[in-house]
Amino acid sequence: MDAMSQPRRTALQRILGLRDFGVLVAALLIALFFSIATPVFLTSYNLFNLLRQTSQLGIISMAMTLLIVSGEFDLSVGAIYAVTGVVTGILVNKLGLSIWVSASAGMVAGLALGYLNGLLIATTRINSFIATLSTMMVFRGLALVLSQAQPISLQLSFFMDLFGRAELFGVVPVPIVWMLGWGVAMYLLLHRTAFGVKVFATGDNREAADLAGIKTMRVKWIGFLITALAAGISAVISLSFLKTVTPTQGTGLELEAIAASVIGGTAMSGGVGSILGTFLGTFIMAEVRTGLVLLGTDAYIQDAFVGLVIALAVIINVRLSSRRK
Amino acid sequence: MEQTPFLVVDAVSKSFASTRALDLVSIAVHQGTVFGLAGENGAGKSTLIKLLCGVYQPDQGRITFAGRPHHPRDPEEAERAGISVFHQEIPVCPNLSIAANVFLGPSMPKRGLAPDWRTMNRQCVQLYGNLLGEDIDPKRLIRDSTAAEKQLALLVRVLSREARLVILDEPTTALTPPEVARLFGIIRRLQAQGITFIFISHMLEELMELSDTITVLRDGRNEGILGKAEFDGRTLSALIVGRTLAGRPDKQALKSSAEHLVVRSLGLPGEFQDVSFSVRKGEIFGLAGLAGSGRSAVARALFGAPPAQSGEILVDGVRRHIDRPRAAVEAGIGYIPEDRKALGIFNDLDVKLNLCMAGIDRFSPRGVLDKRKLRRVTAQMRDGMSIKMQSPDASIRSLSGGNQQKVMISRWLALKPVILVMNEPTRGVDVGAKQEISELILKLASEGYTFVISSSELEELIHLSDWIMVFNRGRVARLLPGSEATKDQLILAATT
Repeated sequence: MDAMSQPRRTALQRILGLRDFGVLVAALLIALFFSIATPVFLTSYNLFNLLRQTSQLGIISMAMTLLIVSGEFDLSVGAIYAVTGVVTGILVNKLGLSIWVSASAGMVAGLALGYLNGLLIATTRINSFIATLSTMMVFRGLALVLSQAQPISLQLSFFMDLFGRAELFGVVPVPIVWMLGWGVAMYLLLHRTAFGVKVFATGDNREAADLAGIKTMRVKWIGFLITALAAGISAVISLSFLKTVTPTQGTGLELEAIAASVIGGTAMSGGVGSILGTFLGTFIMAEVRTGLVLLGTDAYIQDAFVGLVIALAVIINVRLSSRRK
Repeated sequence: MEQTPFLVVDAVSKSFASTRALDLVSIAVHQGTVFGLAGENGAGKSTLIKLLCGVYQPDQGRITFAGRPHHPRDPEEAERAGISVFHQEIPVCPNLSIAANVFLGPSMPKRGLAPDWRTMNRQCVQLYGNLLGEDIDPKRLIRDSTAAEKQLALLVRVLSREARLVILDEPTTALTPPEVARLFGIIRRLQAQGITFIFISHMLEELMELSDTITVLRDGRNEGILGKAEFDGRTLSALIVGRTLAGRPDKQALKSSAEHLVVRSLGLPGEFQDVSFSVRKGEIFGLAGLAGSGRSAVARALFGAPPAQSGEILVDGVRRHIDRPRAAVEAGIGYIPEDRKALGIFNDLDVKLNLCMAGIDRFSPRGVLDKRKLRRVTAQMRDGMSIKMQSPDASIRSLSGGNQQKVMISRWLALKPVILVMNEPTRGVDVGAKQEISELILKLASEGYTFVISSSELEELIHLSDWIMVFNRGRVARLLPGSEATKDQLILAATT
């Protein structure tokens, strides 16, 4: 009965939800522009390459979106990404453990750091921007001390193939598969579970969520664990592809992840955001970077263009959401 | 004795849209007196004050101040003429010193471009000594001062700028009794120096203690003026309330069922102490009292937000340890907060999620959201409570205040808790919806839901409640059956 009384929505809107529609259009327009500007852009090789390069950022961005929706930030993801890699590298090279055991241990170490972030914020109630700014520096220091600031090289193995180097059906680089898998998991978690509703409620109006019986601190804490897990998975993909880890890897990754979320329509104030939007946001950033390379633009100017895209995306989003009211 | 009054308001009217906030109101204030102003919320007190200090302009009528026509276009102009207002909340810059707060503004003493702290501190000490007869350390940060000291700093500030008429709007709500006594002493001292005061308070005792005359407004009209000799709590509260309302006519005989909720010597330091009552199944228990009297803190404590620190709560005879909202929900208690926008509604979520939020785990088998079930529950509630909405998927912001409030009530009914604690159940909804929500509460009570309702609207409480407990400064002042309660009894108990 009640399903009948809903206003009909077009198929496209139902698939995407109105919010993500603008981001999709933006992504397509940018693709169209570069396709016209350079014939190399719209080739399967280039697109797969582009997606592979952005897969680590994508995994972290989608987790970051969940955290931002709950009303918190994690600036330490880049550092957790480095610690996971360094711990894995040391366990393999110094202790001679198998890559499987080492990578698992590295991810557990990353999760422990995420747990610490949650603990810090739950017990002291400091603003997470400040709290994770400090843990970002501490964790990065940890990575540098553990590795003695030296890069660690790893041996090629089946593990590397599985997480970084193989190509599914001979064409799809495996990091893309991991990103899509993680994306589906994040989408289901945020948009299809009771936990996801609690995340939205917590970021939308924390006091009201508390008064509705939701344990908001726990929701946020789980958010920090999820971003740490995402950083760990990304680190494993990175070390598998590059066969090496450096203690400085992932510097600035946290800001790119926040940028991708924002381009995708996530509100910095919490309570609004979508996984699909963030995926498209990551894609837009990658498109602009790759497109500019293909156009032969000076490498130094690329960040400036990405910056402009962020500003543009946010302005359009603000306009759209104020009109929707 | 017969001199020209300092301030004359002559037959002033002011309307907002269709409501007439002030209807031919006249007052006369003599220099060096304390002019008491009393009336219920919405009686027109604050509109009158806003006319005097230039926030609004009168539709008709004349105001004369110190022998000259007084028609300020903004607060700044009123202040230049010598009228200053003190609001309930105290606007200060917490991280500046007392002296800086006193002198803040364009006329701050300067040496070159830098503030001249030495002069400011010296003048500040002098001002405090001359005006208030008090000794202070001007360098202390205002952050470290009590509410009373902040008030004094502001008082010194306006007086240092030649204020001649000071309007005190509920100045005592944030003060402890000794601080009130100190403030009154200072006001009398300033009065002797020729400063005139308009004093507004809900506390009748305070009004009678400090004022030289008391003027009562009701529904935007002059209701009466009492001279000092005529001061009497009963007369005053009768004037404030007007007609005396009896309890609800169709009140059923008290149900003889078992005690559903029992509260024993509940206490929370700084909020309330030694609160005990019991409510039977299907009863409506009203909590009355002024803002800050403890009534809404008691309502919140029943839901553990924040919990009481002493005493016990029993539901169906079982002692429940309610230390947070979750525990209250598990004990079968639901809570509808006083500020729907800030504490209740999730603005960016749709109606069905707003409605089902408290039971979201229950509507999600193995954690997976069952949207079809959410829609069905919402549609059921929509029909049962006649909530007007486009669809369960509509934005919560598309609903009117009254319908949002019904969603808030439904949030708990969908979960079937049996005790509903409501704080200001009809705040921010229009008159028609008020009526509807009142009827809904009565209907649910007759179905066996138990209610604890904290409200500042006495008529509503009298209309709904089987019992009314009146709070006064954190203590239980009176408990009376709703059928016998009258508005002036409640006001008397709450204010004396």
